[in-house]
Amino acid sequence: MRESSKTPRLNMPSERLILSARANLQNHVLGLVGRSALFVVTSVAAAAVLFIIVYIARDAIPFFQLRGVREFFTSTGWYPSGDPPVFGALAIITGSVLVTVGAVVVAVPLGVSAAICLSDVLPFSARQAVKPVIEVLAAIPSVAYGFFALVVLAPLLQEAGGRVLAVAWYLLALPLLFLTVAVISDLLTSRIQVEARRRLARTIALVVLAAGALLLLALTGRALYGLTIKTGTNAMNVSIILGIMALPTVVSVSEDALQAVGRDLREGSYALGATRAETMIKTIMPAASSGILAAVLLGIMRALGETMVVWMASGNAAQIPSPLFNYLEPIRTLTATIAGDMGEADHVTGSARYHVLFAMGLLLLVFCFLCNLASEWVVARQRKKLTGEA
Amino acid sequence: MNMRLKRLIMAALVATGLCTSVAVAGEVDTLVLDGSTTVGPIAKAFAEYYMAKHPGVNVTVNESGSGNGAKSLINSGCSIANMSRFMKDNEFAAAVEKGVMPVAHVVAMDGLPFLVHPSNPVKGLTVQQVRAIFSGAISNWKEVGGPDREIVVVSRDTNSGTYETFHGLVMTHDVDGEKVKEKIKDGAEYVGSNGGIRARVQSTPAAIGYAGLGFVDKTVKALEVNGVYPSGQTVTSGLYPVSRPLFMFTNGYPKLGSHIHAFVTLHLSEQGQEIVEDIGFVPVTHY
Amino acid sequence: MRLATRKLLDVSSSSLGFISIGIMGVALLVILVPIFSRGAQAFVFKGTIEHRRLLLERFERGDAAAFAEEYEAVRAARQPVYDTIATFGAAQQQTLDKMIAVLTRLSKRNDSIARLVKRRLRRISDDEPFLDNVDTVSKVLERLEGHVDSAEIAGDLALLHSGVDAMAPQVAALEELKDAVANLLGPAPGTVQPALPRRQYGATRWDRAEVRLQDLLYETLWDYSGDGMGHRVLKPRVEQFRDTPMEPLFDYVEHHAEAMLQPRWTCYWGFLFDKPLDIHIFGGILPELLGTIYLTIGAILFAVPVGIITAIYFSEYARPGRIVSFLRTCVSTLAGVPSIVFGMFGLAFFLNACHMPKGVLAGALTLSLLILPTIIRASEEAIRAVPRTYREAALSLGAGRWHTIVTVIVPAALPGILTGTVISMGRAAGETAPIIFTAAASVAAVLSFNPLQVWNQPTASLSWNIYNLCTEHEAANEIRHVQFGMVAVLVTVVLVLNLFAILLRARIARKLKG
Repeated sequence: MRESSKTPRLNMPSERLILSARANLQNHVLGLVGRSALFVVTSVAAAAVLFIIVYIARDAIPFFQLRGVREFFTSTGWYPSGDPPVFGALAIITGSVLVTVGAVVVAVPLGVSAAICLSDVLPFSARQAVKPVIEVLAAIPSVAYGFFALVVLAPLLQEAGGRVLAVAWYLLALPLLFLTVAVISDLLTSRIQVEARRRLARTIALVVLAAGALLLLALTGRALYGLTIKTGTNAMNVSIILGIMALPTVVSVSEDALQAVGRDLREGSYALGATRAETMIKTIMPAASSGILAAVLLGIMRALGETMVVWMASGNAAQIPSPLFNYLEPIRTLTATIAGDMGEADHVTGSARYHVLFAMGLLLLVFCFLCNLASEWVVARQRKKLTGEA
Repeated sequence: MNMRLKRLIMAALVATGLCTSVAVAGEVDTLVLDGSTTVGPIAKAFAEYYMAKHPGVNVTVNESGSGNGAKSLINSGCSIANMSRFMKDNEFAAAVEKGVMPVAHVVAMDGLPFLVHPSNPVKGLTVQQVRAIFSGAISNWKEVGGPDREIVVVSRDTNSGTYETFHGLVMTHDVDGEKVKEKIKDGAEYVGSNGGIRARVQSTPAAIGYAGLGFVDKTVKALEVNGVYPSGQTVTSGLYPVSRPLFMFTNGYPKLGSHIHAFVTLHLSEQGQEIVEDIGFVPVTHY
Repeated sequence: MRLATRKLLDVSSSSLGFISIGIMGVALLVILVPIFSRGAQAFVFKGTIEHRRLLLERFERGDAAAFAEEYEAVRAARQPVYDTIATFGAAQQQTLDKMIAVLTRLSKRNDSIARLVKRRLRRISDDEPFLDNVDTVSKVLERLEGHVDSAEIAGDLALLHSGVDAMAPQVAALEELKDAVANLLGPAPGTVQPALPRRQYGATRWDRAEVRLQDLLYETLWDYSGDGMGHRVLKPRVEQFRDTPMEPLFDYVEHHAEAMLQPRWTCYWGFLFDKPLDIHIFGGILPELLGTIYLTIGAILFAVPVGIITAIYFSEYARPGRIVSFLRTCVSTLAGVPSIVFGMFGLAFFLNACHMPKGVLAGALTLSLLILPTIIRASEEAIRAVPRTYREAALSLGAGRWHTIVTVIVPAALPGILTGTVISMGRAAGETAPIIFTAAASVAAVLSFNPLQVWNQPTASLSWNIYNLCTEHEAANEIRHVQFGMVAVLVTVVLVLNLFAILLRARIARKLKG
């Protein structure tokens, strides 16, 4: 291949096959040096996270020394430049938790059912077609999501909020309700032995339930239709977007977990006469439960750590919505507070206002650290369980 | 594949080497500005104007907030700090400790108009009413002569110089000779920039917010305060009660003839004043 | 449970999955379609003559001779507008002059009037804005009204006063109209060149021109007569000029707008490679694009060597044990750190502790930490995927371990490593939070192509300036197309990188299959 390798080296094997003691030692030392060099670089890479923890903590601890712990966790007032200042992070922590919960509510049902469909229902070729969708969803930069949330979604919610919600509700709930109604009426009447009577009863149940469901749907839809949303930059907007952003993580991790369960369990279940749904729910999901849990944890981390979307589209109001689950209120999150407040904190003097942001960063870091550990532990346990069972 | 890759890498290395050798050749004058988002538009417009006039000079503008601007100046991270408030005692002390002497240049005047949606029939408020609205004592437009709509209070983020000006001029008042600082109510929305305030107000019929004078346009309505409409004249004459100067801070008075000096005195030139006025602020010589 | 029920349950669970996947696809479309369709408007739009003038004057692009010819026609089309306005302005001036003459004459006849009037009338001059002169005259008349005893003169004065009062709103309306015309067509010929480029040119895009034309033809008023919120009323501006020579002007403008602006479909590739002008109101996004490229390449330069070495260590050397599992936990924890925390760390460590200036280097280092775990993981997987036989063959040929790794394993794993690298390039290009405190600037000169001059300079970048332009810009609504264009460019860059990675991976898969 290379010019230089042509000439001398070809002769080498014929010259001497056994290395001299000196050459051997040289090789050994070189190997050792190389190896330790590798180890050093690896340690640097690994130490980065320790550095991060140390440097965040180093700037976070002075805050607790200055102001104590209680105010931070119990006060809802966020007046960092007030006189006297109030550094209550409770409302902000609540905001972070709220949007994360919202994102999980969006992402987990969608993600897990999509993962089931991908791993067990769709044929290979269809799966290959869906994969890019997930990859593209994962690849879109967060600032683009934030821009969409702020420039497209927020005005839409504000101007046509009720109508948009109602349409979305109809589109989502109609198929789901019909499926549920059909299943329930079927279940209710399955005890009746005589075929003709059962069919009649089922039809009646179907009609009654469907009418009830439609009525419910129409009522809720109307209530939604008449809703005016005060501000489009609110917790719901952010939750939806964060949910979409967390979807790829949830889908791919839980699909991996479902795949990891292996064919034998599936085949055993099918052999016993179970349908695919029963196999999935009774056999595969319990076996993959820890992997799915890991997926949820990773999704939570993604939603909790996201900055740009919440900074641009959450409204940044440091308040606890009342009632608590009023997602139409603007909220403020830890990440957005850090991003927004860092510029104005007077860094030089080491004031509480600067350190409080690092305290928030530390909180985020610790939470993500715990989530990460938990998900790793869960995955390791699943692996052990599966290999143990096999 | 392998061969091609190696060649590519070689080419990249050679290119880097070439660049390095060129690097030593010319040094560019750089001017770094950091600080307030309110002074930002002036600084950005000045920067473009200045770079067009002096092609060899590279002017960088960061809009990271007044506090960050002060910090940057003290750490010699920037040559000019844009601030929408004056430096604080502790910032001065820290600066002096590091051998930096901050000198203030007032580049423009700014009023803080209160913005509402143009469909809002309310024409003006008093300072007391504004204070009551922002502290939550008044929560419906009908209490100040408007329609029966719940007021959506939008404030600048608590970290901004604009917020501090607002807080000092509106939310602070004397009660029996004692200074009382009212807090902004819990449900208020906080927006990170002046443009954001305007965007919130123009899309929300029941909102009230405050922003720099430069951000008033046809999509929002500025309110009279105590019967005075915010304009260039009412701001500089002091008639409009919520107004303030905007600063650029330098380390010491800049050397005459230097780029920094030219930059911080740009607002005194005719073109500079026109730029300041066109962006919507009040030139300092506008008496 | 009946079989049919169970089948129904089965079908419903499957359809649930299909619905979820469908929602995912729809979400992707709903997000990407507006971004790309409106982003395309930054590149392809109906550009007016003002756009071509801008390109010619500011970027020296376009055919000067053809432009001159076209501009001549445009000027001819515009001339009636300016003429009408000028004539009307002159007529108003004449009326005012007449009034002043009457006043002066009166003051010559009457001493008490002279005393009141003289000093004030001196304030009137051609240098003052016309509206101020009208205002002065009106004030003078007001003053006089109480001081005049002769009925005859009082009648004269009242006549004058009503004349001035009728004139004032028209003068104000004319000023507004002039502004609207300048907004649409650019500054009127013969006026002083404004300092800001945004005032030097009229509407460069036809979609903006239509909005401004609307503004010229109609005045937006708000009707507060109802109980609740006010309603918008569009009042034709022509009503302010009823029965004046100005009346036909509006019809003319409405029907000759195209002739005056010559809109033509334009493909503006300069959006990518031009410098911005007047803070992105005109021009392109070159500094942002270059900044993003610098930051991304910088991050890759730091992260890839460290990442590959770490991966080699983990896959080839590390023996299971406490230390190694600790190191692994560290790396996986790094993957879970929120991006804003990287930014804080960059601020606390690179800027505050190492005293680096805010700039490309600090930003690239911070980003490199962010993408390190991805690169380590991808490289490790790629190295592990190299078949055992390669290793064994190399070792059996007498190659040392290190030699094997460098000449056999890493080249074999290179496509896989490259895939990981390309994906993390996409990630680095799109991230905003880590560079807010470490590298981002709102306005900066275009970075030079010389890396050594760049490292300590703050830079604009696509991701940061998308945020900055859509929240902080004083004319954020006017430049939506620029924001969408930037988002579209950023998303395209990231997607192209990902597509490249997908293709690479497909190639590896094909190769492994044989």
